[in-house]
Amino acid sequence: MTRNWSINRRTFLRGAAGAMMPLPFLNLMEASADSGVTNLAGENTPPVRFMSLYKPNGVHPPSWNINGGVENDFRMSPLMAPFSRHKDDLLILDNMGDFGFSSHANSTRRFLSGHHQNTREASMDQLIAEQIGGDTTHRSLELTTEGLFTGQIGCSYISYGPGGERLPRESDPQLIFDRLFRNPLDIPSKRAEMTSLLDRVREDADSLMRKAGSEDKETLDEYLTVVRDTEKRIELMQKGTNRSPIKFEEIQRPPLATNLDEQVNTMIDLIALALWTDSTRCATYMLGNSNSRMIFDFLGVKEQHHYLSHFFRNFSRDNIDGLLKISLWHMEKFDYLLTKLKSYKDHNGTLLDHSVVLFGSGMGHSDNHTAQRIPTILAGQGGGMLKTGRYLRYAENQELGSLHLALMQSFGVPLDSYANAGAPLQGLDGSPFNEYRERPFDSWIKLTSNKITVQGRLVMSENLDEAKTFYMEVADNGPVRVDVSFRDFHDFNLAYHVGTPIILEGNRDEKNGQLLMTKVSDLKSVFGKSQPGKQRG
Amino acid sequence: MPNRTLPLLKAAFTFLLAPAIAFSVDTTPDAMNRFVEQYCIQCHGGEKVKGKVDFTTISMDAAGEDDFDFWQLAAEVVEYEDMPPEDEKQPSPEERAAFQAWYESHYVDVEATPGVFQPRRLSTPEYRHTMRSLFGFDLENNVQKAEQTAVEPSLILKLMPTDPPGESGFINDTHAAPISTVIWDQYAYFAEVALIRLFSRGHPQSLNTLLDEDLPKNYKHEDITPKMGESILRNFATKAYRRPASDEEIENMATRLDGLSGAKLVKALKFEMQTILMSPGFLYRGMRMEKQPGKKQQEVDNYELAERLSYFLWEDSPDEELFSLAASGTLSDSKIIEEQVDRMLKSPKARTLADSFATQWLALDEIDDVYNDPYQLISFKSQPLDFLNYLFTEERPVMEIIDSDVTFTSHVTAGAYPKDRKKLEKYVKPRGIEKQVAPNQKLVLENTEGRGGLLTMPAILAMNHGPIIRGTWTLRRILGEHLGEPPADIPPIQAVVGGKKLSFREQFEMHRDDATCARCHDKIDPLGFAFEAYNEKGAYLLSDNSSLPKEMQSKKQGNPKIDTAGKLPTGETFENFEALKQIFMTSRREDIVRNSVKQTLSYALCRKLEAYDGPTVDAITAKLVETDGTWQDLFTEIAKSLPFRQTIITVTKES
Repeated sequence: MTRNWSINRRTFLRGAAGAMMPLPFLNLMEASADSGVTNLAGENTPPVRFMSLYKPNGVHPPSWNINGGVENDFRMSPLMAPFSRHKDDLLILDNMGDFGFSSHANSTRRFLSGHHQNTREASMDQLIAEQIGGDTTHRSLELTTEGLFTGQIGCSYISYGPGGERLPRESDPQLIFDRLFRNPLDIPSKRAEMTSLLDRVREDADSLMRKAGSEDKETLDEYLTVVRDTEKRIELMQKGTNRSPIKFEEIQRPPLATNLDEQVNTMIDLIALALWTDSTRCATYMLGNSNSRMIFDFLGVKEQHHYLSHFFRNFSRDNIDGLLKISLWHMEKFDYLLTKLKSYKDHNGTLLDHSVVLFGSGMGHSDNHTAQRIPTILAGQGGGMLKTGRYLRYAENQELGSLHLALMQSFGVPLDSYANAGAPLQGLDGSPFNEYRERPFDSWIKLTSNKITVQGRLVMSENLDEAKTFYMEVADNGPVRVDVSFRDFHDFNLAYHVGTPIILEGNRDEKNGQLLMTKVSDLKSVFGKSQPGKQRG
Repeated sequence: MPNRTLPLLKAAFTFLLAPAIAFSVDTTPDAMNRFVEQYCIQCHGGEKVKGKVDFTTISMDAAGEDDFDFWQLAAEVVEYEDMPPEDEKQPSPEERAAFQAWYESHYVDVEATPGVFQPRRLSTPEYRHTMRSLFGFDLENNVQKAEQTAVEPSLILKLMPTDPPGESGFINDTHAAPISTVIWDQYAYFAEVALIRLFSRGHPQSLNTLLDEDLPKNYKHEDITPKMGESILRNFATKAYRRPASDEEIENMATRLDGLSGAKLVKALKFEMQTILMSPGFLYRGMRMEKQPGKKQQEVDNYELAERLSYFLWEDSPDEELFSLAASGTLSDSKIIEEQVDRMLKSPKARTLADSFATQWLALDEIDDVYNDPYQLISFKSQPLDFLNYLFTEERPVMEIIDSDVTFTSHVTAGAYPKDRKKLEKYVKPRGIEKQVAPNQKLVLENTEGRGGLLTMPAILAMNHGPIIRGTWTLRRILGEHLGEPPADIPPIQAVVGGKKLSFREQFEMHRDDATCARCHDKIDPLGFAFEAYNEKGAYLLSDNSSLPKEMQSKKQGNPKIDTAGKLPTGETFENFEALKQIFMTSRREDIVRNSVKQTLSYALCRKLEAYDGPTVDAITAKLVETDGTWQDLFTEIAKSLPFRQTIITVTKES
């Protein structure tokens, strides 16, 4: 290879609006064969990377869920708007997860470990890293934004090691950058600089030594021993060379991030750069702890995220607005990541084409903690592993473990089962899957003097002014409004049944000529489980 | 400490060599060897070595400085009649007195001398603060801090290995923690990232502090000239070495900048600054001190004195005022030292006395294990720290550590002060915030029972589980008594005797029937059981607990009969902790002050105390006891003391 691989120092330069400027070296990697791996047919193919982005505190389901679409004909939801331009690169999964309730800590473990009780096994990102890491300098990166939530430590970790142990996470972009691109092992000029520095400090120590008393001498001896040991270590390092054709010292160090937005953008820049330079092939990144109490003051929101996420019990229109602002910011970060991965040319496509990105949360409904319809999106073709541009809504609620198993198998991890899942999730590569189909059902209303019983589809109000209100849709009739206390909402787990036909019985009332149910006394699912379990799953 | 008899009297003759013995006793080596032979060696020698004390490995004839700890302990137990055990043959009062006299002539009636000069590496917190003062910014670990999350905001504290405590028990005693390649790599990394930030374009603020003229606001590297480079190097080296660098050194560095400009100049400049940051003169304290040739005992030079003051009171390098006083040679004036201590204690940097010195002395980091949630941890741990900071920096008497009507509390901890909490400014939780730590408020206790002073703060009681640990902690950390390790052959503590289940107190009463156990437990147990009216979370069970914070409630609450009475080895008895506190304030006052002096002096000198420090400890203790002295008096006396201002240079060789 005769090309000059120098990289312009403007790598990290941003435009005035904070968006990345187009990078001047996008095509540099086009001809690179060095980072490729040889496939079974003996062809050189780019390595496939795995990356996961974690969104804390679930979602506001009416804003997130896609209702009514099918595999190749669907409209993205309001919360998906920030990344809707990547639709062709997405595989949106629905009906993932099947628990009534989930604690924050359990939902965090489940996100990449298949099941919350899978506590003695590595998370799927680590198993994939083990499989595809090859001779990359960093087998995997475990990244986050926030400090440790020590009260429930599990809330702070999605990646787990071989024995299920929590893997330390790093949040400082400059520190990550330095570890990735300023390692003396990779940079001969740094080693040369340290060698001359050692010469100089030895001179200084020697001159002190000449004037020293016996106690000083002892101390200086300790110092000089370390100087000599460091020289020896540098000599040994001379053998190490950077595998990448890129001169790392020419990549500009990112500036100090002064707020969360900058910190996350910089970290995403680094993740993309690390994947592209083949410094690592696997990274996980938490936008916050599972129960994040961060305050998004740069978005003008003064309340804690976790408080707002409990939007039913802490209901106000302002709170809903604040929650959605935060959620939209999370979605923008996913968009930023995808845009970034697409901006790098990698062999005959983009970096995203040769990556699998798993984006999502650990729970669905953020107030009720239902671990059902958990937001889950895959992005990137993974070099052909995934057939994107589709919406897969499964007929039955799926174990997250089956998704993890399917992905791991695609990456070549030799596993037949994972966590509670005995079979991989179908359909990711375009193969047939058991798609959700509307089953016909009758809908009706029965009234007594003080009771009302309705069979119909339960929905949450899409009107943000009444975000704690539910409706029962009844054919040939106006919907029946359901205004219930938090207790009923929680005890009957209304959030779990949203979108499905149920029989709901409760107290009858009327308001402005509209039928109203005020207290729930019974709930039966027409096709599914009436009680999805109260286990803190 | 009872083995130092009549300290008040002695203090007056601190600098006199006065080994005169008041009555005629035989302290010849032969007599002493017979004493050990007769009373000690049977259990503490050769084959049988109880409590890791072995008289066969240590010689009385050649009792030297290194054996100070050993003989100090021996003299203490002999004088207290703790040893020989009751069921063994006892020495006569004359024999005991002779042994005591021998000990005092060797280790007590000694001339006060300073310690031998020894440079030492900056501890990690010292290094962090020194870097911050040098650069004007802290090296931060970029991490989002949300309520209830634990973060390490300092990159240095995050990446450096934890300093082990030295022989003194303090981490600034780094003699036993030499530099390693791991530490070297971290130093190199910190130097690199700090210099990158110092020279970041468009941010000249920190760089301007090293220049005689200000750079333009949006400066570029091209704006820096070699002449400016020289000025930067001179100022930087001076601040980094905590004393002026020689002209020769500066010129030597500056010539390497000649003819360079822009990026090349900055690169060369950074390299020179990096060599300073990696040199022994920066990384070690005392490495560049000017020694007076041909003199063994000597005053430390003014820059060294400035450094000693600033690292003692601030855990940081000297500021400009200290530095200019050192430069003018006036700092060593006692009056100036007094003024400086006063000024320094008023600075927020003096908070390190609580956060670092007191935390290490009193093992306050053990509080970290009590509370999982940072919300509780910060609220409860800040109580003793704010209180100690108040004692240290607001001229409060030393003894207020035991008894004070002032406490510091927030809405989280206020339940411990039910009858006074109404005086607090009401805490209003902001909308949308689930839990929040609020700063402590100063609260004067008028009606609250069972509180006041450090020992009954909830976090202190909670970090010491049970009466034995509470008693041991009080004995060692507050009264300053040496307790040996428990012997290897501890008789089992029986919970059930004759089918009757014994209370915890009864179990230890039985335990004390064994003379070996009684030696320590006679002292530990009464102190520990005096705290029985406080549950394991530190709640006071005898007062109205309805408003107790959740974190302090306990299943054990409501025990109708709490026995807090006790009898000390001195024969003094008490009914409850309040009465014990009065004993502490009167008959144990001197012990508590003495221990405070010893701990503070040891921290200030960054080393273990030796026999030759005894007279200094005696003198300061006497003065504080007599005048009901304050912590500020204590810090000032130490700053003016002989070991703080002088040193011994062993060999000065020119080769």
